[in-house]
Amino acid sequence: MARNRKPQEKLETNMSAMIDVVFQLLIFFMLTLKLIEPEGDFNINMPARGKPTEPSPDPPPLDTKVKLRANPDGTLVGVYLGSRPLGNDSDAFKRLNIEILRLIGSPDNPLAEDMAVEIDADYNLHFKNVISAVGACTGRVDPRTQRVVKYIKNIKFKPPQKPGAAS
Amino acid sequence: MAKKRSSGIGSIEVDMTPMIDIVFQLIAFFMVINNFEQTQADERVKLPRDALAKPPEVKIEHEITLNVGYLRDVRGERTNPDPFLFNFGGEDMMPPLGSSKALEQEARLYRNREVEPKDVTVKIRADAEVPTGVVQEMIKLAQDAGFEKFAMSAMSSSEGQ
Repeated sequence: MARNRKPQEKLETNMSAMIDVVFQLLIFFMLTLKLIEPEGDFNINMPARGKPTEPSPDPPPLDTKVKLRANPDGTLVGVYLGSRPLGNDSDAFKRLNIEILRLIGSPDNPLAEDMAVEIDADYNLHFKNVISAVGACTGRVDPRTQRVVKYIKNIKFKPPQKPGAAS
Repeated sequence: MAKKRSSGIGSIEVDMTPMIDIVFQLIAFFMVINNFEQTQADERVKLPRDALAKPPEVKIEHEITLNVGYLRDVRGERTNPDPFLFNFGGEDMMPPLGSSKALEQEARLYRNREVEPKDVTVKIRADAEVPTGVVQEMIKLAQDAGFEKFAMSAMSSSEGQ
């Protein structure tokens, strides 16, 4: 504590120790800074194979088949809804999104609870295309409210087939 | 701004208050934006992007993370054509289809903690360029180990579909 004896009795504190600590803290937080982009998940329930399914009085869900075909290098060749081609560019998934909306009638339709989409993707296909297809079937983000409008929640996958295996 | 004041002894005193204010603000800023959460995410995985991938509102209680990706150089080019499972089962990397023992071990560990594997979410963080078949084969291996809940991770994107 430094004290100057002046007529006004002014008290001065030695700040250097605190400044040292504060700078060390600042450097610590700057070095440990790890900027992480926000991640999200698509939840998929896949019970183990061979498990006896419980008999249900309800009719089985209506399956919509989405086929994703790929070149040997994994790039997308085509998106098909059933047997209908929707293209192979980035707009193909937008078209898929529109077609799924047409199938369910209106967003958040309770009947969509009974519907399921089965994704049949080629073995080599880049995973990003599957995520785009899952996203297109699950819903869309309302551009005005930025809220997710849900379409079909039940997403299934056709078992994988290695290239060259008998189809 | 520094303020000089001459005292009787001839020493110069600098007013540190504005600097301390700024430094405290910087500390507060870095503390707020820093993420100290211990995640099992691996930085080698370049996740696909989708507009619908929103961070979960409720934290999943039991989850294991499978990071599937490629070894890449600083430019992001693949240095090995085969995908690897990173940071799992006590190993830094292993072939994705050779992970059945590690998955069974994880399932055993959860059973020992009286948690059924079917209540554990398997979070799949797969690289955007990983073959879909590899991801599906890994899901099959996890199903064989008793896991039933899966989540596929993607980066949140404002553009997306």
